[in-house]
Amino acid sequence: MPSPASKRRSSARHKSTGEGIGLTDSLPTSLMIALLFKIIFLSVADSLGVWAAGTLAWQRNWGLLSALLVGLTLLNLALLSRRAYPLRYLLPGLVLFAAMTFYPIVYTINIAFTNYGTGHLMSKEEAISWYERRYYQPEEGETFSFQAFKDEQGQLKLLLTSQKTGRAYLAEGARLLPISLPDPRPSNWRSLSRSELVQALAALQQLELLYGEEDVVRMATLTEFAVFRPQYHYDRAHDLLTDLETGKIYRPIRGTFVSEEGEELLPGFYEYIGLENFYRIFSNPQITGPFLRVFQWTFLWATLSVLLTFALGLTLAIFLNDPYLKARRLYRSLLIIPYAIPGFISILVWAGLLNADFGIVNRILEDLLGLRLPWLNDPFWGKVALLLVNLWLGYPYMMIVSLGALQSIQPELYEAAYVDGASRWQQFRHVTFPILMISVAPLLIGSFAFNFNNFNVIYLLTGGGPPIAGAQTPAGATDILISYTYKLAFAGRQGAEYGFAAAITILIFLIVGTISAINFRLSRRLEKMGEAL
Amino acid sequence: MWKRALMAVLGLAFLGLAGAQAQQAPTLTIWADEVRAPVLQQVATTFTNETGVNVQIELVPFGDIRPKFITSGPTGTPDLIIGPHDWVGELVANGLLEPLALGRLREDFVESALEGFTVGGRLYGLPYATEAIALIYNKDLVPTPPATFDELVSIAKRLTDPEKGQYGFLHNVWGPDPYHSFPYVTAYGGYIFGKDAQGRLNPCDVGLERGAPAYQLLLSLTDQGLVPRATGYGEMASTFEAGKAGMIVTGPWQIKSIRDKGINVGVAKLPLIEGRVPRPFVGAQGFMVNSSGANKPAALTFLFNFIATTGIMVDLFRRDPRPPAFKPALDDSAVRADPTLAVFVASVADGIPMPNIPQMSAVWGAWSDAITQIADKQATPQQALADAVTRIKASLQCPP
Repeated sequence: MPSPASKRRSSARHKSTGEGIGLTDSLPTSLMIALLFKIIFLSVADSLGVWAAGTLAWQRNWGLLSALLVGLTLLNLALLSRRAYPLRYLLPGLVLFAAMTFYPIVYTINIAFTNYGTGHLMSKEEAISWYERRYYQPEEGETFSFQAFKDEQGQLKLLLTSQKTGRAYLAEGARLLPISLPDPRPSNWRSLSRSELVQALAALQQLELLYGEEDVVRMATLTEFAVFRPQYHYDRAHDLLTDLETGKIYRPIRGTFVSEEGEELLPGFYEYIGLENFYRIFSNPQITGPFLRVFQWTFLWATLSVLLTFALGLTLAIFLNDPYLKARRLYRSLLIIPYAIPGFISILVWAGLLNADFGIVNRILEDLLGLRLPWLNDPFWGKVALLLVNLWLGYPYMMIVSLGALQSIQPELYEAAYVDGASRWQQFRHVTFPILMISVAPLLIGSFAFNFNNFNVIYLLTGGGPPIAGAQTPAGATDILISYTYKLAFAGRQGAEYGFAAAITILIFLIVGTISAINFRLSRRLEKMGEAL
Repeated sequence: MWKRALMAVLGLAFLGLAGAQAQQAPTLTIWADEVRAPVLQQVATTFTNETGVNVQIELVPFGDIRPKFITSGPTGTPDLIIGPHDWVGELVANGLLEPLALGRLREDFVESALEGFTVGGRLYGLPYATEAIALIYNKDLVPTPPATFDELVSIAKRLTDPEKGQYGFLHNVWGPDPYHSFPYVTAYGGYIFGKDAQGRLNPCDVGLERGAPAYQLLLSLTDQGLVPRATGYGEMASTFEAGKAGMIVTGPWQIKSIRDKGINVGVAKLPLIEGRVPRPFVGAQGFMVNSSGANKPAALTFLFNFIATTGIMVDLFRRDPRPPAFKPALDDSAVRADPTLAVFVASVADGIPMPNIPQMSAVWGAWSDAITQIADKQATPQQALADAVTRIKASLQCPP
């Protein structure tokens, strides 16, 4: 509620602004303020946008620039045009969609066709300019002591004295001027104090003075300048990189500079390599060999995870939904706990509990049944352990979802079923379950897709292990596609291979997408039934 | 040519600018973890007092330094990082490190530490500490350490009594822990990567298979009930610290915690295996310079004139008790006062630098899997290691 004082103030403002602009006379105060805000907001956003666009154009970042311009146009359109009015509600969502979903997908697809990864992180331009900035100090290289002065105009002047020949030089422009000491000039100049020298250090450290044909004199340490020689020369016309120290010539082959003898220079650069990443997946028996086995287990893992968590979650939800159950809230709170503990922690705790030798699970089993199960060291029991832990992690979600859906079922339906003489089981089978599935089925599909790529549980509990005897690939017995991808792309060869990982990710995306599409088609039947109700 | 001329002109323009108006004084930025940052704070103050250049030490968690540096290094920040030598391969592959010319200073450093920081014949780090594992024994249980592995086994047999939870010899080789089992492998002539004619590591020459007898030997200890299959690092360390283990094998990093538990600890070189010296992996810790940093002269001055001094090296040793890589510091009385040090230094001298090339990441996984299979008797050591070598070579795309 606005206070009377503020009301008075706003009406006064209305009066004063209304006088000047005839158009606004008809507008009520609140709309006026809204308009004002809109204009201020738009002008700030537009000026920021134009400034950013200028910077992006300068950096030649065309992708981001066009995205910015499209976004800016849409923003103006949404706020200024009456016809585009609905856009202002859609726009925030669209922007988030573009930034969080669309852009990563485009980016992933893009790098799937490159060799982006360790040793190939720079663009070719960046790599070449990196090589052009490499210098080395020749073995017999000269070093110089230096003195910095200020001349009569307060300009910084530099006097270098060779420690090898004893000759003195004055830095003049980009060159070194030989002078004979005592030179009259420096005596008129004022030596820099230490704090002035530190102030000038940023400039001194960037200084490059030509010395002879190729060499430059640069600052080597805080007390010395030294002769540096460029290490590489890049020949733009022939696309060749020459090591000036050894005379070796390197030509770029697939993102790496390679010499005649096959010696590779580091770093390389990223480059489009076409379908090579995909070709590597399909042509390499190391990868294709275990693919089917891994895929089968992934499918089984996702399916069983969904079914088990849903079965347990639904059962608990039905119990909790019973109005005659005492202390329902308490049970509900307790049962949600696994959902509230961060998975990273609880999975690691489970790994400890399931340790075959020291874990408490085996100790209890041994005391009660005389059993000792190789939980994490055996292909079969490893899978069982994973499913159990995932059941523990996943049922609360299914329980919450089912509880909500159960409460939306009209009690009249049960009354009618009761009158018709249906048993409790028949009520569940023909009333509860079909109606429940209408709202829950899409969530089950989502859960399937999530578990298909459930990296955390696999990686933290078994690490994909145990290893398979005689296997020539990193795929362990419990690896799913995504953890297998991780092993191939990040722990396989030589550091991170983002391009290769992106290519496999696209394949997984296609698999999950196909399965989900089929599932949605099947569940549409349920929706039709829902409409009939 | 014109480009460099332009840069020089630009540099001069900066120079004029500096004369005309006070320019932002450069600050040397260093990334260090929580162990090293406090020690550096002191030397940073000295550096600032003597040169006037400010030093900013940013505390970055150990595990974050490398990935963050890969992202932010090309923008010029930080100027220096501190880390282990096995980061060097990946960082050099991405063009992030500046080679260092030590000149005469080179003779002051332990050779294997320098070798650790060398890639393709160039040095990329100024080492300050080295580390390698050795035999650590409880003097109350084992008065004289064994000189040969046979002696070690007989002591282990005498002391081991699983009923009381007491063990003569524990080692976490079945962890699976390739790092800790490497010395045994070398005693039988096994190696990770061979070297080519120029002394560079050849990732397609993998010699793990030769270490098969080592795992046979370890397996026989496990079968006799001496080294339990489930011994992980944590179990090994805690059993020893509880006074329930006669001998274990690990590095200088564990000594402080063992002493804090009141164990009368001794350190000896690893016993000879069939007359041959087991060679542990040597790790080195050191400073690396950002190749894109704007303050390279200041950074190099900081390293050569301030870090490479006995006082600072001894300080670093006090905070992080690993054998100094700086020879003058090894002669310092404060360092010599630690009786375990000489043994660890000898162990480093015996050792082999852990390969720093990025291809090493293909080795760890395959090797660990082989050890697990040997321990679970799913394959003979010969078979499991042969599979691992095939796997490593295939993933490194070596010619068959």
